[in-house]
Amino acid sequence: MIEAHDLTKRYGTKTAVDGISFTVQPGRVTGFLGPNGAGKSTTMRMIMGLDRPTHGTVTVNGRPYAEHRSPLTQVGALLEAKAVHTGRTARNHLRAIAATHGIGDKRVNEVISMTGLDTVAKRRVGGFSLGMGQRLGIAAALVGDPQTLILDEPVNGLDPEGVLWVRNLVKYLAASEGRTVFLSSHLMSEMAVTADHLIVIGRGKIIADGPVDSVISDATRATVRVRSPQASDLAARLAGPAVTVTPAQDGLLEVHGATAVEIGEIAARSSIVLHELTPLQGSLEDAYMSLTSEAVEYHSAEIPGQPHAGSHVAAPAVTTGEDAR
Amino acid sequence: MSAAVATETHRHATPSTDYKLGFGHLLRGEWIKFWSVRSTTWTLSIFLIATVGLVVLISLAFVNVPSPEDGGPPAGTAGNPLDPLSIAVTLAQLALAVLGALTITSEYSTGMIRSSLTAVPKRLPMLWSKAIVLVVSVFAVSLVAVALAVALQWLFFDSKDFSIDVTDPEMIRPLVGTAVYLATIALFSFALGALLRHSAAALATVLGLLLVAPILFGSIPWKPLQLANPFLPGVAGQQFTQTTEQLEASASFSDVGVDLTAWQGYGVLVLWIVVVLGVAAVLLKKRDA
Repeated sequence: MIEAHDLTKRYGTKTAVDGISFTVQPGRVTGFLGPNGAGKSTTMRMIMGLDRPTHGTVTVNGRPYAEHRSPLTQVGALLEAKAVHTGRTARNHLRAIAATHGIGDKRVNEVISMTGLDTVAKRRVGGFSLGMGQRLGIAAALVGDPQTLILDEPVNGLDPEGVLWVRNLVKYLAASEGRTVFLSSHLMSEMAVTADHLIVIGRGKIIADGPVDSVISDATRATVRVRSPQASDLAARLAGPAVTVTPAQDGLLEVHGATAVEIGEIAARSSIVLHELTPLQGSLEDAYMSLTSEAVEYHSAEIPGQPHAGSHVAAPAVTTGEDAR
Repeated sequence: MSAAVATETHRHATPSTDYKLGFGHLLRGEWIKFWSVRSTTWTLSIFLIATVGLVVLISLAFVNVPSPEDGGPPAGTAGNPLDPLSIAVTLAQLALAVLGALTITSEYSTGMIRSSLTAVPKRLPMLWSKAIVLVVSVFAVSLVAVALAVALQWLFFDSKDFSIDVTDPEMIRPLVGTAVYLATIALFSFALGALLRHSAAALATVLGLLLVAPILFGSIPWKPLQLANPFLPGVAGQQFTQTTEQLEASASFSDVGVDLTAWQGYGVLVLWIVVVLGVAAVLLKKRDA
């Protein structure tokens, strides 16, 4: 179990992680999702004691990582693929790490074959591909047979077979062995199939924290865009316990919780003129974009002739570039 | 691949107690790291070959110095059989300085340091165990180098009365002292590497202090520099590689007025290390990795 409380990291004037609190429970895969620069890696480095928090605390299984008598059996971490001396062979790299905890060559050979490194174990790491480096990083994380596994972008650079393997491995470790798995990614689709629980981070703050299904459905609630000269009148009639109406701008409403058909009928019954009635369909990627669009650190430039990079709504008639939320 | 996952033992949420982070284990880990990169074998081989080769070549030059009658230097200034070793060590120590610095800076340049500190999150034990492995290894190799050099010098030049009398108790301290000095220089370079965390910066600093500074300080006729010269790490430490007789002789030539004994000189070198390594240790504990 990982518990962070009010965790903050500032580099100079820049706040990378801004007072976040969360808990990663054992027995399930927790995804840590966010755009580049959101603070995922910094948070993970603070868990592992590599970065000192400016403020707040984070513990693993009840104490700070550094306080454990046998750190590698508590937490195995892949923080960056190439945290490896390039002149050393993969096998010697793993042997050296394992030796610090009195872990013998038997376990080293075990993780080498688990991660599919048998054929390259005697080669120097400098010549490894990104995928091989990633497998070596995962092997190093597993060598202590840890209770908690922290993987930063583990599928980065892996081939499809490797992606599937990581997915099955973390699910197996969490579900069958009751271990804690904390996995970061900027890929929503990967998270949707791997994680049971999601923590979404943007600009150093937690945006969402909950089971994957509910995070996705919350963020992809079907939205209907309604334009009417009698917007406020319509808003009053639509409002109800299951329906939220957000006035976007003059005469424009965004309605969650009611279908376009229902809105059209209510409007007709009340003789309200509609200028636009557009159902906006959400997808996984939309959910992610809508969660993090405000929190993206590095915006891509617009590509000429293409729709705006941030306009994610799959609507037939997009009249504005405004984000749904 | 997914089948391989199942080979994982069904150990449930109880930590395995047989694996533990201990200092002995840590030394073992650093030992594997130290000997599993090519730079270690390269620098140690270069050091070994340079030391032994230079001692033989310089001895050859010494025994071929013409006699005073043939226009050579006046009698009484003939070389001491220890001199070739001193000169060889002054040059060959640079290979060990490179090794000492790289032992720690290569971890920073490759990113390995983050793997190391993940395994040893308290950090300082990693620094100490690295230092111990380095010092022990360099000391052992240096002893071999000194023994080989002395043996070859005896083999080739004993007939010309130019060899070190190892049965003379006066000679034990300079000979063992040479190996101690070399191991200490490697540690000094390691300390600079730990402080600067950058190979080029550490090497430039250590070579500057060992090689350039003594020449500059000794040749610029400015009193403060000349007074500081004996306290440079290399100059002070090398006092430990000389016989008491040699030290007294050079003290009588020197007009600077600062003459360190062998142990004082070695103490000055150790003091350098204590300060540099101390600051490095504090920073290692405080800085983000």
